[in-house]
Amino acid sequence: MATEKKPEPDDLIHIGPEMAVAEADLRSEETGAFIHGTSLWRDAWRRLLKNKLAVFGLVVVVIVTISSIVGPTLIQRIFGFTPDYIPSHDPALTKSFPPFTGPNNEFSWAHPFGTDNAGRDQLARVLQGGQISLFVGILSTLVSLVIGVSYGAIAGYVGGRVDNVMMRIVDVLYSLPYVIIVIVLLSMFRSQTPRGQLILLFIAIGSVSWLTMARIVRGQVLSLKNQEFVLAARATGVSNSRIIFRHLVPNTLGPVIVYTTLTIPQIMLTEAFLSFLGFGVQAPLASWGSLAADGIQNIAIFPWQLIFPGVTMALTLFSLNFLGDGLRDALDPQMRTV
Amino acid sequence: MFRFIVRRLLVTIPTILVVISITWVLIKLAPGNFYSGEKPLPAAIEKSIREKYGLDKPWYHQYGKTMWGIVGHLDFGTSLRFQGQSVNTIIKRSLPVSATVGILAYLLALIVGITVGSIAALKQNSKWDYGSMALAMLGISVPNFVLGPILILIFSLGLYWLPPSRWGGFPSRSLILPVITLSAIYMAYIARLTRAGMLEVLRSDYIRTARAKGLSERDVLIRHALRGGLMPVISYTGPALAFLLTGTVVIERIFALPGLGNYFIQASLNRDEPLIIGIVAFIAMTLLFMNLLVDIAYAFLDPRVRYQ
Amino acid sequence: MSSGKFRQIVGLVLLASLAFSTYSCTVASSDEEFFGTTTPPTRNIFRYVTGDEPASLDPAISNGQPEARIYMALYEGLVEYNPKTLAPEPALAERWHINNDSSEFTFHLRTTGRWSNGDPIDANDFVYSFRRALNKKTASRNAYLASYLKYAKAYNEQQVFVRDPQTGQFLLARDFQENPPAEAIGNSPIDPAKSEYLPDPNETTPDPDTAFHHLMHSPLRLTLPGDEKSRSKMIAADPKLKAAVAGKEFVQVVGEDIGVEAVDKYTVRLNLMQQAPFFLGLLAHQVFRLQPRKAVEQWGDQWTQPEHIVTCGPFKMKTWVPYDKLVLERDPMYWDAQNVKLEELHFYPILDNATVMNLYKVGELDAVYNRAVPTPWLHVIRHKKDYMDKAEAALDYLIMNTTKPPLDNPKVRKAFNLSIDKEAYANWRQIIKPLTTFMPEGMFPGYPQPKGPAFNPAEARRLLGEAGYPVIQNSDGTYSCPKFPVDQVEFIYNSQSANKSVAEWMQAQWKQNLGITVALRNMEWKTFLDTRANLEYKGFARGAYGADYMDPFTFLTVFYTAEESGTGWLDPKYIAMLDEANRTLDQKTRYELLAKAEAYMLDNQPVIPLDTPSVNWLKKPYVKGMYPNPASLFAWKYVYIERDRAKWDYGTPSLTAE
Repeated sequence: MATEKKPEPDDLIHIGPEMAVAEADLRSEETGAFIHGTSLWRDAWRRLLKNKLAVFGLVVVVIVTISSIVGPTLIQRIFGFTPDYIPSHDPALTKSFPPFTGPNNEFSWAHPFGTDNAGRDQLARVLQGGQISLFVGILSTLVSLVIGVSYGAIAGYVGGRVDNVMMRIVDVLYSLPYVIIVIVLLSMFRSQTPRGQLILLFIAIGSVSWLTMARIVRGQVLSLKNQEFVLAARATGVSNSRIIFRHLVPNTLGPVIVYTTLTIPQIMLTEAFLSFLGFGVQAPLASWGSLAADGIQNIAIFPWQLIFPGVTMALTLFSLNFLGDGLRDALDPQMRTV
Repeated sequence: MFRFIVRRLLVTIPTILVVISITWVLIKLAPGNFYSGEKPLPAAIEKSIREKYGLDKPWYHQYGKTMWGIVGHLDFGTSLRFQGQSVNTIIKRSLPVSATVGILAYLLALIVGITVGSIAALKQNSKWDYGSMALAMLGISVPNFVLGPILILIFSLGLYWLPPSRWGGFPSRSLILPVITLSAIYMAYIARLTRAGMLEVLRSDYIRTARAKGLSERDVLIRHALRGGLMPVISYTGPALAFLLTGTVVIERIFALPGLGNYFIQASLNRDEPLIIGIVAFIAMTLLFMNLLVDIAYAFLDPRVRYQ
Repeated sequence: MSSGKFRQIVGLVLLASLAFSTYSCTVASSDEEFFGTTTPPTRNIFRYVTGDEPASLDPAISNGQPEARIYMALYEGLVEYNPKTLAPEPALAERWHINNDSSEFTFHLRTTGRWSNGDPIDANDFVYSFRRALNKKTASRNAYLASYLKYAKAYNEQQVFVRDPQTGQFLLARDFQENPPAEAIGNSPIDPAKSEYLPDPNETTPDPDTAFHHLMHSPLRLTLPGDEKSRSKMIAADPKLKAAVAGKEFVQVVGEDIGVEAVDKYTVRLNLMQQAPFFLGLLAHQVFRLQPRKAVEQWGDQWTQPEHIVTCGPFKMKTWVPYDKLVLERDPMYWDAQNVKLEELHFYPILDNATVMNLYKVGELDAVYNRAVPTPWLHVIRHKKDYMDKAEAALDYLIMNTTKPPLDNPKVRKAFNLSIDKEAYANWRQIIKPLTTFMPEGMFPGYPQPKGPAFNPAEARRLLGEAGYPVIQNSDGTYSCPKFPVDQVEFIYNSQSANKSVAEWMQAQWKQNLGITVALRNMEWKTFLDTRANLEYKGFARGAYGADYMDPFTFLTVFYTAEESGTGWLDPKYIAMLDEANRTLDQKTRYELLAKAEAYMLDNQPVIPLDTPSVNWLKKPYVKGMYPNPASLFAWKYVYIERDRAKWDYGTPSLTAE
C-alpha cells in the first residue's frame, strides 16, 4: 500500500470531470516508482494484453483509425463517390435516403449508412469525419503534451519563486471559464476557410488542455529531482536543460502516457461540443461532432443522420476510455501489489 | 484556513476583471453589430441607434463605463438585443432555470452514482460490477448532445410520452428528459469514483480495525467506508458543478430552455455586449466561488487534511 | 478479467446500435396523413412559434417579422392587413378618403376604439404615436418607412429649416433642386373612386384655419442636415445655397412639423411629401401602430413590461416570461371583441427549426412559422395535408460587387446570370419558382413585368469572350476560361447548410457552363452582413429581400439608395425613373414606368435573380381562419379552433371560398 500524500488543496480545484478522475488516479504515483529497466514496459504490455476490455478498446481504435484513413478511398474505388460528392445532376438523388435504400425505396448496398440532406453517402462522411475527429484529438493532445510537459518540468525543476509564479499562473488560467471564452472567440471570429477554422480549433482547445498535464509533470519532477541519479548528473556538470529533458522527463512517462490516452477522448468530446454549437469544424470538412449536429436537426424525420455518426463517435470514445483505463491499470504500481 | 480564504479572494477579483476585459476586447474586435439584419438600415437610422446606445463614444469611454458599472454597482447595464431589459434581470430570471436542471441532474447523479458505485465495489468482480462499470463508461463516452436527441426520438417523437422541449416550470414532466440527459455523464463519473474510493477504503487499516472492534458490517460500511470512500466524489463536486454550467449550455440548446446557457449563446451570436459580459462575469464568479467552497469543505471533511 | 464482461459489453454496444437504427427507420417511414398528432387543445387557445424572442414589445422599435406577428395581436393602427390578401382593411379607422394625387389621406376613426385599460382612442393618440415613432431618440429601425410623410425624414434625422430672421420666411426646397418633383400640395378635390371604405356623405372634412394646416398645404421647405459639420460641408459645396443661407437662421425640425394632423377628435389626416399610392397599404405596418402615451410617459423604456403595458389590439398581455413564453388573452375592451374567437394566444420564442418541428409533431404547437420546415424535409412534408404553400412576396438573388473588376463589366455580370439554369435550380429546390426579373411573378396584378433573359450558356460564353475572357472548349467537351481572374471573385454566404448547398450548386453551374470555378467562402452571420454592406467582398454574395408593403416599389427601392443593395450600383437615371413613376397618378402608367425602370436595372445586371421563395409552414387541420399569405402575417382575431372534424382543412385552405 503506497502512502497517501496529503492532497494540496490547490491540486484539487478547477478540474474538469475527466481530469478529476485522471488526477485522483494518478496522485498516488508521485513516488516515482517506475524508474526501472525496460522490463517495466514489457510487464505493462503483458498486463495490458491480459485486460480483455483494453484489448477490445485497442482493437476498435485501430479498426476505426484504419478504416477512417483508407475507407473514403476504398468507397471511391468501389462505388465511385467521394465523401463530398453531391449528385447535383439529379434532384431525385439529392435527398436523404435511409440506410440500405435506393432512390426508389428498393434495397441497395450503395449507402449502408444512408445519405445526408444533399445525397452524400453517410458512410463515407462518417469515415472522413473520423479522420478529422481523430486528427483534432491527437494533434491537440500533442500540443497540450509539449506545452504541459515543458512547463511542468521547468516549474518543478527550477522550483522556488519561479515555481510559485508559474503555478499561480496555471491556477488563474484554470479558473477562467474557458469554454465560455472559446465560445465568445469562435462565435465572433470564424475563419472563412475550413483549414483556418481547424487551426483556430487547435489553438482554442490545445491552449487550455495543457494545464493538468503541467501539474502532473511538475508533481513528478518535484519528487524526482532530489534522487540520486539527478544529483549525480548535476555533480558531473550536466546542463539544466539536459537534466530536465533527458533525465527527468523520460521518468515521468508513465503518468504522462496514461493522461494522454485519457485526454484524447476528452478533446474529441470538446471538439464535438463546439461543432454541435456550430463553432467547430466547418463544411465541406466534417467531424463526428459536426455530422451529429447536422443529424440532430433532422431526427424527427431522418434519424439515421444522427445515429450513425453518434454511435461511431460514442463507440470510439468508449474504446479509447477503456484503453486508457487499461493502460493505467497496466502502469499503476499499486495494481501490481494487489 | 482564514488566510487561505483571504488569499484566494485576493486572486479572484483581478481574475474576474481580466476575464471581463478579455471578453470586452473580443467583442470590440468582432465584426458586425447587434442591430444588423438581412435588410441593411439607412445610414441615418444606424447613426441614431449607435447614439442611443453610446456606441459613438471613444473606446476608453465605453470601456470605462462598462467597468465602472460592474465594479461600482455590480450593474452590467441593459441588454442591446432585448430592449429595456437589464442584464441583471435576465440573469436573475434565467439562473433558476439553469440551476433547477443542474441541481436536479447532480442530485440524480449522486443518488444513482453512489448507489451503483457502492454496489459495484462491494460486489467487486461480479457481473454487477462489470455491467455497471461498462454502463458507466458508456455514460462517459456518449456525448450529451447525442444522448438528448436520442431520448427525444424515443420518448417524445416515437412514443409521445414526454414533451420534446420547452421549459415547463418545476416540477413538470418536461424536466425529465433534460435532467436525465445532463446527469448521465456525472452519474457515470460518480459511480466510478465511488467504486474506486470504496475499494481503496475497504482495503485500508482503519476499516480492518473497525471490523476487528466488532462493529456490525452495516455500521462499518455506512459510518466508515462510505464516508472515506466518498472523498473523491466530494473533491469532484466543485469542478462538476462548474462544468454543469457548460453542460447546461448544450441541454438548454437541445431542449430550448430559457436558461443562462441559451442566453449566452444567443448573446454571443447577436453581439449583445452587456449581456455577454454579464454572463461571462457571472459564470467566472460562480466558478471561483464554487471552487473555494469545495476546498473548504474538503479541509473539514478529510481527516488527513484536518489532522495535519 | 472475465470474458463474460467482454462479451456483455460488445453485446450491449451492438444491441444498442441495432435497436436505434431499426427503431429510427420505423419512426421516419410512418406514412401518416398529417405530420404528427391532430388532437385539438382542450381550451380555445392557439400555440404558435413566431421565431426568436421578440427584441421588444414596442411596435415602434423592431423591424423583425417575428415581432410583427406579435404586434398584430397586441396593437392596431389605422388599417389592418386582410388575412388572405394583405390588402388594407378598416381597423381603428373605419372609413377614409384619399385625395386625387394620393398625397393626402384622411381617416375617420371609429368612436368605439379603447385601450386595454379602458381609455378611449382618438386622433391625438395617432398624432402622438407617429411623432414618437419618428423621434430620433426612439431609434426605430422602421422610421425610413414613414419618410413619405411630410418632414418625417427631416425630423427623424434632426435636420433644420432655414428661416430669414427678418421676414420669417423659410427657404423652399424647389429653389435648390435642378428638377424639382411635382409637388403634392393636397388641394385637389377628392376622387371618390379611390376608396373602398368611403366616408358618409354627411361627414365633413374640416379644413381648419391653423398654422399647421397652412404649413402642410404650402410648398416644401428646404431642409439641411442638423449636424453642424456636414451642413457646413454641404453649404460650402454649393455656392447658390451658400449665398441663400447667408444671414439666415437654422430652425430645428420638430415633431409638430411632420405631416400628421388631428383634424378633430376622430379625424386624422396624413400629408405626404410626394404622391405615394401604396402608402395606404404601408399604414398597416408595425411602425404605424398605436403606442400608449400615458404608459410610455410614465414608465419610459420599461413600459412594455407586463405590469405596465397598455395595448389596443384584439389581445392583451397575460404573462410574459422572455425566452419562454408570451401569453396573450382576449381583450374585452377591444372594439371588435365579440368577433375575437380565441381565448388565449401563446407565443413560444424558439429559434431552432428542428425544435419547432418536434414540438409541432407531438402536438405542443398548433402551427409553425414560415420557413420553419427545413428544406431537406420538403420532399416528405409537402405531401402531408397540414402543409401550407403559397408564393411569397420575397426574392432570393445573388448580388455582385460592381465596383471591382472583373464584375465591374456588365457583360461579365450578364454572362454569370445567363449561365445559371434557373429551371433546373427551381426543380432541385422543389418549392420555389425560377426568377429572371426582380419582382415575384404575378404578385402585383396589372404590373407589366419585364421578361428577363432565359438560360443561355452559349450567349454567356460569347459575352465573356467579348469582355476579354474567351471561353475555350476542351477536347473532352468541358469548358475552361484561362484568362479569367478566378482569384478576383468569390461567393460569400452565411454559414447555414441551405445556403451552402445553393452556393455549391451555383459553383457547379459556372464550372460546367463557363469553365470558371468560383471559390466559396462562408461567414458567420453578423460578419457576413458587415462584409456585404461595406462592399468588402469580391465577386458574389447571397441576398434576399422581403416586401415591406404590397407594391412593386418595395422591391425596386433596393437599388434606390447606396446602402441597401450591397452591390455598389447606384444609377441616377434609375432613380430618376423611379421618381417619375411615383409622381404618376394613373396606376397603369405608374406600373408601366416602374416596369421600365426595372428593365433598365436588370439590363445593368447588378443582381442575379434566382427565385421567388414559397412560404412553407404547417398548421394542424383544426386551426381555421389562418391562411398562407404572401408575407405570413396573420390577423389573429379571425383564427379559431375547429372541433368538428368534418370542417377541418385537408390541404391548403382556399383563399376564395368562405
